Amino acid sequence: MKKPYILLVEDNADDVELTKRAFSKNRIVNEIAVLTDGAQAIDFLFGNASPYEGLPQFILLDLKLPKISGLEVLERIRSEETTRYIPTVILTSSKQEEDLLEGYRLGANSYVRKPVDFNEFVEAVRQVGLYWLVLNEPPPSSGGGM
Amino acid sequence: MSDSTAPDASVLAPNLSFALERITDGFFALDANWHIAYMNAEARKLLDAPGEILGRFWLEAFPKARGRLFEREYHRAMSAQMPVQFVEFSETAHCWFEVKAYPSHDGLSVYFRDVSERIEAQREIDRNVLRQQALIDFGRAALGGRPFPELVIEAMELLRAIVDVAVVEVYDFERRSGGFTVRAAEGWNVGIAFDPAVPALAHVGSAVRTGEAFVCSDMRIEPRARVLATLAEHDVLSCIAAVIGTSDEPLGALAAYARSPRTFTAGDVRFVESIAQALAEASAALESNRRMAQVLESIRDAFVAVDRDLRITYVNARMAMFWNVDASEMIGVPIERFTQAFNDDGHALESFRVALVNDRALSFETLFDDRWFETRLYPFSNGVAGYVQDITNRKKEQQRVLGLNAELERRVAERTMQLELANKELESFSYSVSHDLRAPLRAIDGFSQALIEDYEPRLDERGKNYLDRVRKAAQRMADLIDALLKLARVARADISYSEVDLSHLAQGVLDELQEGDSDRSIATLVSPGLRASGEPHLLRVVLENLIGNAWKFTRGVPDARIEVGWSGESKEFYVRDTGAGFDMTYQNKLFGAFQRLHSSVEYDGTGIGLATVARIVHRHGGSIRAVGEVGKGATFFFALPHGAGGTA
Repeated sequence: MKKPYILLVEDNADDVELTKRAFSKNRIVNEIAVLTDGAQAIDFLFGNASPYEGLPQFILLDLKLPKISGLEVLERIRSEETTRYIPTVILTSSKQEEDLLEGYRLGANSYVRKPVDFNEFVEAVRQVGLYWLVLNEPPPSSGGGM
Repeated sequence: MSDSTAPDASVLAPNLSFALERITDGFFALDANWHIAYMNAEARKLLDAPGEILGRFWLEAFPKARGRLFEREYHRAMSAQMPVQFVEFSETAHCWFEVKAYPSHDGLSVYFRDVSERIEAQREIDRNVLRQQALIDFGRAALGGRPFPELVIEAMELLRAIVDVAVVEVYDFERRSGGFTVRAAEGWNVGIAFDPAVPALAHVGSAVRTGEAFVCSDMRIEPRARVLATLAEHDVLSCIAAVIGTSDEPLGALAAYARSPRTFTAGDVRFVESIAQALAEASAALESNRRMAQVLESIRDAFVAVDRDLRITYVNARMAMFWNVDASEMIGVPIERFTQAFNDDGHALESFRVALVNDRALSFETLFDDRWFETRLYPFSNGVAGYVQDITNRKKEQQRVLGLNAELERRVAERTMQLELANKELESFSYSVSHDLRAPLRAIDGFSQALIEDYEPRLDERGKNYLDRVRKAAQRMADLIDALLKLARVARADISYSEVDLSHLAQGVLDELQEGDSDRSIATLVSPGLRASGEPHLLRVVLENLIGNAWKFTRGVPDARIEVGWSGESKEFYVRDTGAGFDMTYQNKLFGAFQRLHSSVEYDGTGIGLATVARIVHRHGGSIRAVGEVGKGATFFFALPHGAGGTA
């Protein structure tokens, strides 16, 4: 059986650590695959770079990424048959209007701004995890045989 | 009298003779040998005939009839044996006779009467026609720009021909002496000089003084002017004199003399006056032309005038120089000859036509011989006036200015691009600030929290307190970053005005505050009908900050109260609270960024809120001020475009 996992695309090591911590504090024990730039994310999703079987349950995507930006990654995800239904949540520091609009235009499922206050951050991660892992019914995994 | 049968002179019955004596016509009869057989009393009277005239050969009795129509017609009547009728001037009687003669084999019956009056009237009519035609021709010549001396000579010839006078004189008025000198004369037997010292006594003086023609039919018996007696010695006996000009402003005078005593007709007098008048007008026109020419010669533009047939009537020296022709030879030459050389596509010539037909001024530019010319055309009643100006320098200057403008525009575009670039950089800077500066803060806060949670047993209270402070500082910095970003955005935001319901906005802000702070109970009052013109988002930021401050600074104040309203007197909105207030000494620091009048221990805040408010209000073209007192609350007044309150 495939092991469900979460894909986190985040270049800031501190944020990666804090996000992982927030998950664990919320007792979300799913494995978290971490990629630190957009190019890696593309390779992971569309190349043979993934050590995982199948697609992630959902993707947490930062916008400001080295090499290929988060928005470009999102655009690619939504344009490919295999990945277009993966729930993708933008998790970023920016709350620039343009980013919000562009994110939704490209098909982001949610847009969450990382709070500075860690307690708020933990709460945000809890809600996102709870929603996408538990409450939300995922689409039939047509592309699961990857 | 009967025309049907001719009376036979030789067989005149006494009763017939009686009848002939009674008719008003003159009547005589000639026998077959041309001897006078009968003559009635009227005929004797008309012909001033002697008593013993009967039986005499008629040409012997009236020798002056020889060679005249009388002789020719009588002979024609007899030889053809048919009646004749004619009008002829009788030298014998000095009058005109209308004659009817009836022949028979025995002689000729002649009826005649004096028709001088009728003939004279007819001749006067004919002369009038002649005069009018002559006047029209002369008037045209006078106003046609002919030289004055030529006109004077023509005037004298006309007077001699039309008025039938022997001598004509034209005098000039001498403005300095007030006298007259002879300008020209024709017809004197010997030259005479008019004495300028005595004009007032003369016929000319009289004409000039009164402004009316002086007419004298016989100088020998003329009582009005003694000097005429002198003239009479020069073989002239009657005259007409008229002023040239007016008695107020005489230019000269005109006099016509006949050698015999003569009663001039009104037509004669009018003709002389008219010729004088025409000469005056010609002189005035020439003077005006001379002045105009002076002006036209002095201007720097080349000037040409054409008549309605587009023939040149005048060119000034500059134009002649430009065309390299003699100005005097240009009169009457079609303008086309020059427009062709000037601009061979026909546009210039067409422009003359258009100006004339449309009766509208126009101008055009032409490049000729490497120089630019502007031609301005002005139509007038008799043609078109054209001014040609060399505008090469102006054109060059224009080109230079155009070049400068282009350069300026290029620079503006460059600056604009630089500005846009700077704005973009600023934007990406803001972006980086919001994104990158927050990440470390999150780490500081997150790991401090992690320390507190994971290493609690090893931390004493002081240690935990320090970590709390670290976290607070991080969060505060995050707030500052957000506030700064907002301030920057306000500075750049485009403002599109729409009507904003401030009452509604204010109530919304208060409701939100109450929701987030449900423990507090504050009396709030928002006046209904507060309206202004502005950007709704930004005006909401204003109210969020002002009401938010009021909310903040009334914390812990008993019976706190917040009011949002309109001051009809000063035409300002206000947000009033009964909170901590402030010291008016520092009021000028209220609206500066990062300025705080309270320590962050007392009240939290970024110190950027009021700076943002002030900037928004100013960007709307409004104003803001604050009134307060420590411990008694503060009131913020602000004015906005089209601000109005429902309950003023």
